[in-house]
Amino acid sequence: MSSPAVPLDLAALATKRPRPKGTSLPAVFIAPAIVAVFLVSIYPIFDAAVLSLFQTRYAEKLRFVGAANYVALWNDASIWASAGKSLIYTGASLALVLPLSLGLAMLLNSAIPLRSTARTIIVLPWVVSQTVVALLWAWLLNADFGPIAYAAQSLTGSRPALLASPVGAMAALIVVNVWASYPQATLLLLAAIQTVPGELHEAAHIDGASAWKRFRFVTLPLIKPTLQVVLIQLTLLYFNMVTLVFTLTGGGPLAATDTLALRVLKISFEDWNLGRGAALGLVITAINFAMSALYVRALRQPAQVA
Amino acid sequence: MIALTLLACLFAAGPVIWGLLTSFKTPTQVVSYPPQLWPSPTTVENFAGVWRESNFPVFFRNSVVVTLASVVLCLALAVHAAYGLARFTFRGKTLLMLGILATSMIPGIAILVPLYNLSVQVKLYNTLTGMVLVYTAWNIPLVVWLLKGFFEKVPLELEEAARMDGCGRYKCFYLIVLPLARPGMLAAAIMAMMAVWNDFLIGFTLAVSEQKRLLPFGLYTYISNVGVDWGQLMAATVLALLPVLFAFLIMQKWLVQGLMAGAVKA
Repeated sequence: MSSPAVPLDLAALATKRPRPKGTSLPAVFIAPAIVAVFLVSIYPIFDAAVLSLFQTRYAEKLRFVGAANYVALWNDASIWASAGKSLIYTGASLALVLPLSLGLAMLLNSAIPLRSTARTIIVLPWVVSQTVVALLWAWLLNADFGPIAYAAQSLTGSRPALLASPVGAMAALIVVNVWASYPQATLLLLAAIQTVPGELHEAAHIDGASAWKRFRFVTLPLIKPTLQVVLIQLTLLYFNMVTLVFTLTGGGPLAATDTLALRVLKISFEDWNLGRGAALGLVITAINFAMSALYVRALRQPAQVA
Repeated sequence: MIALTLLACLFAAGPVIWGLLTSFKTPTQVVSYPPQLWPSPTTVENFAGVWRESNFPVFFRNSVVVTLASVVLCLALAVHAAYGLARFTFRGKTLLMLGILATSMIPGIAILVPLYNLSVQVKLYNTLTGMVLVYTAWNIPLVVWLLKGFFEKVPLELEEAARMDGCGRYKCFYLIVLPLARPGMLAAAIMAMMAVWNDFLIGFTLAVSEQKRLLPFGLYTYISNVGVDWGQLMAATVLALLPVLFAFLIMQKWLVQGLMAGAVKA
């Protein structure tokens, strides 16, 4: 076996490059992984489609009912209410997380002391599982013993029982969601900001542009593609999120935080209506694809020259 | 600027620190009002209680087994697939790549019901094996994507040179290319490990008995039981957080760079 340091006649190699004819290596190497992915990710979708056409009892298909599950979902007012909750959850979270992530990305791009340590700490929520996020915040927001309740009481004189009120629970859920998801957005935006050439900033600075103008007309347009990717990723993440909602509020109180994705879990594994749960799951998948397509189309507009 | 940075760090670490401090407090101090910042006296009875008086060790052990097994299996399959996809072109390759990408666009919630259904049919419901198989396949797209980029950067000339020396295709892969991929494999392993360790839904769907429960589901059921011992619960979450935190601190430079590099590609 020759060592990699042996000088190679690259030109000779280029012309005489032996292209393997009919080697089975790619198939042998790739097939097992593909089969695994197919079994666990692709086949289940078809299975869900079939299941959704049946009336089920636990894992048993009772009788074929065609589109009855879908019709039932359409006619169910609570499903539409849940869709509304999902919209509020997703929209409000996006509205909060995007400025926060952008701001933190700009902060981490500037000359602050111990910058990489700060970055490590700021990114911390990323490694925390949704379950642990919910439990940590449930304790932090505890109305009887929590520091936030105490701070609120010192300031306003009354202790808010956030998680016990419908509006409070949704608000808390949104804030917790923002806490859990801003790190990935921040890192992606930071990477994009760092690719903006320094000369552009300098030129604008020399022209007398303020920091805000520099951000608005130099940075923002150049990071727009990444911003769009982040927007799509987060929208899908929030729309599909189950664990955090399930663990922190369980959809309550009084269905205040009963999002559509959470309904799939409840219909399937609390009501044990697998057929209908599968149907709703497919509906959510379709919405996912539709949202992605819409985003891609809407954001493909030519960038406006400021 | 510095003030903003400190505020951001406090926001990021606050909930974790509060949980950590609580886990060392005595039961009386945990429920004291106004809440006190520092535990005095500090006690480890919460951790002892979690470990000895609950099923936490079972959940922890299950998660360790399932995580290790699925990550090893996933790496084994993905490393081969990534190499094949990086080095070879063949008919239908683009379609295949798009297909793999498409699977990551399917929301997890949509496949829970059929996964439950399938696992019952093949008698893998409520088994650690079933969970290992699902997690293995579930992580393949991510690991293949990570490793494919890695393999594409390995110079073709290295393999060509070895081949000219008479090294067969398979031997060439295992003896030359694979050892070079070790750092990439380590990083991919950590990403996969974090994904499995932190996951709730698949464990929730595929396991029903306490003996087969994974850690996140186990933590969740902690609250559903008689009352909430917040001191113990916080101790449990700290213990659950330690492995990922540890892995993150070791790999944080690479992980952050990797995430950011992905952004540039996007």
